[in-house]
Amino acid sequence: MIRFENVKKVYPGTGKSPDIVALQNVNLHIGKGEFVFVLGHSGAGKSTFLKLILREEAATEGRVIVNGWDLSTIKNREIPYLRRGLGVVFQDFRLIPTMTAYENVAFAMRVTNIPEKQIKRRVPYVLNLVGLRDKAYSLPQELSGGEQQRIALARALVHSPPIIIADEPTGNIDPELGVEIMELLQAINTVGTTVVVVTHERDLALRFHKRVITIDHGEVVADAPAAPRRRRTPAEAAAPTAAQRGSAPGQPARPARPAAARTGRPAAPRHTGAAKGGEQP
Amino acid sequence: MKWSSFQYLVKQGWHSMVANRLMTLASMGVLTACLFITGVAALLSLNVNSFVDYLGSKNEVVFFLEDTATDEQVQALAAQIDATDNVAASTYISKAQAVEEMRQDLGENSDLLDSFAGEDNPSNPLPASFRVSVEDPALMDQTVQTIRSYGGDLFYRVEAPSELGDAMVTVRRVANLVGWGLVAVLGVVSVVVISNTIKLTVFARRKEINIMKFVGATNAFIRLPFFVEGMTVGALAGVLATALVGGGYYAMDRSFHAADSYSVLLVEFQQCMIPFSAVILPLAGGFILFGMFIGGMGCAASIRRHLKV
Ligand SMILES: Nc1ncnc2c1ncn2[C@@H]1O[C@H](COP(=O)(O)OP(=O)(O)OP(=O)(O)O)[C@@H](O)[C@H]1O
Ligand SMILES: [Mg+2]
Repeated sequence: MIRFENVKKVYPGTGKSPDIVALQNVNLHIGKGEFVFVLGHSGAGKSTFLKLILREEAATEGRVIVNGWDLSTIKNREIPYLRRGLGVVFQDFRLIPTMTAYENVAFAMRVTNIPEKQIKRRVPYVLNLVGLRDKAYSLPQELSGGEQQRIALARALVHSPPIIIADEPTGNIDPELGVEIMELLQAINTVGTTVVVVTHERDLALRFHKRVITIDHGEVVADAPAAPRRRRTPAEAAAPTAAQRGSAPGQPARPARPAAARTGRPAAPRHTGAAKGGEQP
Repeated sequence: MKWSSFQYLVKQGWHSMVANRLMTLASMGVLTACLFITGVAALLSLNVNSFVDYLGSKNEVVFFLEDTATDEQVQALAAQIDATDNVAASTYISKAQAVEEMRQDLGENSDLLDSFAGEDNPSNPLPASFRVSVEDPALMDQTVQTIRSYGGDLFYRVEAPSELGDAMVTVRRVANLVGWGLVAVLGVVSVVVISNTIKLTVFARRKEINIMKFVGATNAFIRLPFFVEGMTVGALAGVLATALVGGGYYAMDRSFHAADSYSVLLVEFQQCMIPFSAVILPLAGGFILFGMFIGGMGCAASIRRHLKV
């Protein structure tokens, strides 16, 4: 789904200011159906990571592959099609203030050439999915922060993208609402959608027992697999839960694991194929 | 592109025009003014050309022949003159025809010339002549020299209005230069003004454009409503300018033809002013197409930066 190979991103300095290395030596793989947190302090390079996935910025070195698109060779006119496969919930939601909730969601379909008939069917469906059917005709300013965020999520879902990315989903709303949006994201994940949550909140990343990729000073310093909620027997650890695996039981990156479990290795933290350049237990 | 998308885009362009109606009106006004001046300059220059052509066609050089010239020599000369470059028309006026013309000019006193009339009247003092009109007055001197060399001693006098020719050529050149210079300068000014106006509407909607980019809209799709807006403004300005310039020209055309033709100059103007009916269609077409072109260009220039996300 998402693969980074020796990725480096340098923002060229302007005049007196030096070049800024925002990311370097990044190697990782996020598979289909995974739920991943990307954790890092302010300035660590999280937004840069997202920008590379969305091809808002191009990597200076290395390769980024998203949904089968090689972003180092992608053509400008292909970028819109890459983005239709990526649902993004921005930190600031980015809703159009003059449009109703319904219109904001429909907008994303209209501007991608989808016929009106299909829009009329799809928009109420996704609004219902995020629990905002009743607020379809409210303007963003008439909605709470959490509701606005759910509209942003509905908009991200409207193209049925295989990947959903949320940038600081708990940043701009009350803590309780933060849990609510996280639960929605988890529900979406259980039906097979890959979810990437970018955050600086360590507690949030740890609470859900999912895979956590930690970025610091532009480098991946830790890639901790989804932790079991309780001690499990090796056999249990080998059989991943439906929520963890989503609809991708036959991931090519993982077939070796059950065998490893059978050899009696301790219930070591699962390392995905993505942890190539990262830690080994 | 699907019909519903097209409808959506056109609606968007229209909404944006209405929402920014002040800016829309302002840019339409500026564009109309530019088209107006351009149109006046073009019409002026076209009419000066027409006037110069008209004077040029009346601008005859007269080659008077010696009485000794034989019929064969005259025929040979006529053929040579007709074959000369820049000769629009040439007419041979025999001695007898010269007397006839003079008698007509004298009107009721024509009987004074009775004794000179008739073919081959030996007492006829008037010379035979060639009247030659040229296509381009600028080359008149050269043409006269060439024809003079054909005739040699057979011509006893040549009357050529060369100063008038030079003056007309200068007038025409200045008129063309000023006219097309204005067209070019105002074209550039219009593009700049339109692109700045659209830049404002683009800026007002930059968030929307940014969101469109991230939900996967193509650049062509994002650009289209702005094109619709720019071209509509251009087309409306074209219609307005047509009404203004066309209306003015129509009034002028009418008043020239309604006026009593006492003045010789007025008659000349009437002769050579390009009629309204011949002007209105090219004028409307030119204004509307030029307006739409400039509107589209201005739009393309202003939106590029915002698509780079
Ligand atoms: N467009 C840019 N031009 C130059 N430098 C940039 C640009 N964007 C980011 N940077 C720099 O790159 C580094 C990483 O920035 P980035 O935005 O990825 O951090 P972040 O992890 O998202 O931080 P935050 O949590 O504060 O949003 C920072 O030092 C930042 O100043
Ligand atoms: Mg950031």
